[in-house]
Amino acid sequence: MPTGDVFTERQAQDVERAIAGAETDTGLHFSVYVGPLGTSTREKALTLHGALGDQAARSVLVAVDPGLRQTEIITGADAKRFLDDHAAALGALAMTTQLSAGDLAGGLVNGLRTLAEHARHPQTLHLDQP
Amino acid sequence: MTTFVPMSALLVTVLASPAFAAQHRYEGDDPGPGLTAVETLGLFVGIPALVIAVVYVLVFVGTGSRGPRYRPGVAWRGAAQWWGGPVDAERAVQSAQPTHGGGGARAHW
Repeated sequence: MPTGDVFTERQAQDVERAIAGAETDTGLHFSVYVGPLGTSTREKALTLHGALGDQAARSVLVAVDPGLRQTEIITGADAKRFLDDHAAALGALAMTTQLSAGDLAGGLVNGLRTLAEHARHPQTLHLDQP
Repeated sequence: MTTFVPMSALLVTVLASPAFAAQHRYEGDDPGPGLTAVETLGLFVGIPALVIAVVYVLVFVGTGSRGPRYRPGVAWRGAAQWWGGPVDAERAVQSAQPTHGGGGARAHW
């Protein structure tokens, strides 16, 4: 696990716990990147998402560039069925509220929680019957 | 601040000195030997300065140990961090292609 100088041990644990919680709630793979995204932030975020390899399709990448003050949420082709663009936008909004106040870790945690809450469980015939 | 505190301590000592003068002696009082100049300075300047120094140290030790933190609008110098990323992130990113067919959202703050 990365332990940089920007997040305290406690903040890093909070983010890890939020990722684990979101993965448990949704069954998707969540990945959080904090760092430079270059000039073309969307393209860079999509490349990072592609770097997840086989997991990419059912992965959600939350990428934040604190320098550019830009956040990108990428959902894979499968993940998109659970977490549509509307839910992703809600997550991005939840993040920016706290990020603009300088709370990097809090914004990530809040964003992940919002994403997990709004992830939809698609109905599957025969499997969703009790 | 640093000049004000010794000056005010000195002022109090000077203003109060008539009260210390042994003009009115009472039955059974025991004024003691009195303070030397060094003792007076130590008592009224040294001890307050020491208290100020202790508070100063306590405040700034707490701030310093927190390390650098993110402030909006200030250039970002932290190292990139990736939770739940590939094992060999650098090589994976170099050979990676942008994904298609997904969705998402973006926001600027």
